[in-house]
Amino acid sequence: MVQYVLRRLLVAVPMLLGAMSIVFFAMRVLPGDPCVAMMGDQATTSALADCTRNLGLNRPLAVQYTDYLWRSVRFDFGNSFRQGYPVSEYIARMFPHTLVLVMASAIVAALVGIPIGIVSALKRRNPLIDYPLRIIALLGLSMPVFWLGILLLIAFSLRWNVFPLIGGGDLDGVTAMIRSGEVFLYPRDFLAAVADVLHHLTLPALALGFTLAATVSRLSRSAMLEVISQDYIRTARAKGQRERLVVYKHALRNMMVPLLTIIGIFVAIALTGTVLTETVFTRPGLGKMLIDAINARDYPLAQGAITVFTMTIIVVNLVVDMLYAVVDPRITYR
Amino acid sequence: MAVVRRAEPVDLSLAGAANESRGATRGRLRRWLPVGIGLAIAALMVVVAAAAPLIAPLSPSAQFSDAVLKGPGVVDRHLLGTDDYGRDILSRVIWGARVSLEVGLASVMFGFVLGVPLGILAGVSGGRVETLIMRCADMLMAFPTLLLALIIVAALGGSLANEMLAIGVALTPNFVRLARSLALTIREQDYILAARALGSGQLRVMARHVFPNTLYALVVVASLYIATAIRTEASLSFLGLGVPPPTPSWGNILSEGRQYIKCCPWITTFSGLAIMVAVLAFNLVGDALRDLLDPRLKGE
Repeated sequence: MVQYVLRRLLVAVPMLLGAMSIVFFAMRVLPGDPCVAMMGDQATTSALADCTRNLGLNRPLAVQYTDYLWRSVRFDFGNSFRQGYPVSEYIARMFPHTLVLVMASAIVAALVGIPIGIVSALKRRNPLIDYPLRIIALLGLSMPVFWLGILLLIAFSLRWNVFPLIGGGDLDGVTAMIRSGEVFLYPRDFLAAVADVLHHLTLPALALGFTLAATVSRLSRSAMLEVISQDYIRTARAKGQRERLVVYKHALRNMMVPLLTIIGIFVAIALTGTVLTETVFTRPGLGKMLIDAINARDYPLAQGAITVFTMTIIVVNLVVDMLYAVVDPRITYR
Repeated sequence: MAVVRRAEPVDLSLAGAANESRGATRGRLRRWLPVGIGLAIAALMVVVAAAAPLIAPLSPSAQFSDAVLKGPGVVDRHLLGTDDYGRDILSRVIWGARVSLEVGLASVMFGFVLGVPLGILAGVSGGRVETLIMRCADMLMAFPTLLLALIIVAALGGSLANEMLAIGVALTPNFVRLARSLALTIREQDYILAARALGSGQLRVMARHVFPNTLYALVVVASLYIATAIRTEASLSFLGLGVPPPTPSWGNILSEGRQYIKCCPWITTFSGLAIMVAVLAFNLVGDALRDLLDPRLKGE
């Protein structure tokens, strides 16, 4: 097991290095000069030259590349070209917004997707139940998250005015209160701030969660189908166990192992989804930051965001791989 | 009585056979219906895209100053309404089908042509070649499709060709992995051994024996990736990184309509609906074909 973990870690390192290299070189061939983007077309040649020198863009590419790698290892992604302050600070501020969105939509996806998948697997011979459920799953899979987001905004923000149109609530305030211990001094204010964050979070989480639920329901359907064809389920039934107990006690628990495989895929899809969701709902977060950075040709900011995205996906996959062995002792690693 | 007794089982068996054949017909219908619906919508989309100049009632870029932001049917000639420049939404959605389909087909073709030979080469030759190819594919797989396409298209600039290239590259590792896993099982078959015994070289084995046997499964999966490609194109256009305006694409129509969702929700509604129906059609076809033709791919 330890050997496997080490080997898996060793494989992850070149993968991460490769991914970071792709990001670096892609950002360098980006059309347009970041200095022109910052200072405008009217900037003088000497001002542009100063800007290029200050940003370190006049150095040879190889030097910039090694510098970027060395700094990234220490989570130092340089300073944002436009705002001037450290990218890591910016990321640290945006990451919680993206994290709560991913978590909230994961809850929505699990609450909607897993029951749909299970019922659709158990009632697969009843077309009146299986068909509508499969159609819902297919619709969720085909519906772009940005369109669903806009439909939700039209209905719940503009028509009925139940949820806010833009923003993400004062999440910074909530985290600051937790960190400073003010949460115990002013519990009312804290709860009000949390409620505000949840209020802003509802529509984005529903939009992203519903599109993710489609993937979850399909995978849990096939996981359930695999489990209920096992011998121990037949044994449970043969000994006269009630169907409800067979499902809850025997099938459901065993279904969770294959379902674990999807966490890696899920995180990848969810993170991509946040790029679109945050843009539609004009919510702060890593995804929106990435798009704004690309449009503003802010290399360090874009590099930082993509590196964090990729790192998260690689690390989550690594952890999931290791969790298998813990959850299912039948799995051994060579 | 004896006749009656003899007649009974005959009747029963006939009834059973009739039931069975009805059940089989129903089963066949149940399996093929989604393929039929998906194929019909996909075919309609191809026709609409190909015949856009003939079908579209107006030019997609023609601006009508007398009909700015008019709702569906308010002005006679604009069935689905107009946008902020007074352009006809129906015509733009029809022309948008072209972009979606072009990008969808071309990028999948790109991924296929680049990924399948590499995957087969990795699967058949093994060793260092396999390690090299698969590590590169794994590296690209670390990026979700949209993120990788976004990086490439941001680097190259938004245009139709760059979008095709970006999505094609982003899809390539999927084809590499699938082709390799298929090639791994095929290379163990007796007919490969026979071909080698007859003196076939590596290239001939791959091209004449391995490739044709992977084709079936790969084509099924390719139809699913068309849906992914169409959705990715719409997402890139929505983020402002796809086909630049004024060329209409479903994603940029939707993106432009975002500012007007309060007064004029029809702009986003119809373009979004078009994206969903197109993706749904290819998902239906791919899904149903996969279940029907190749049970090996159920987990893919």
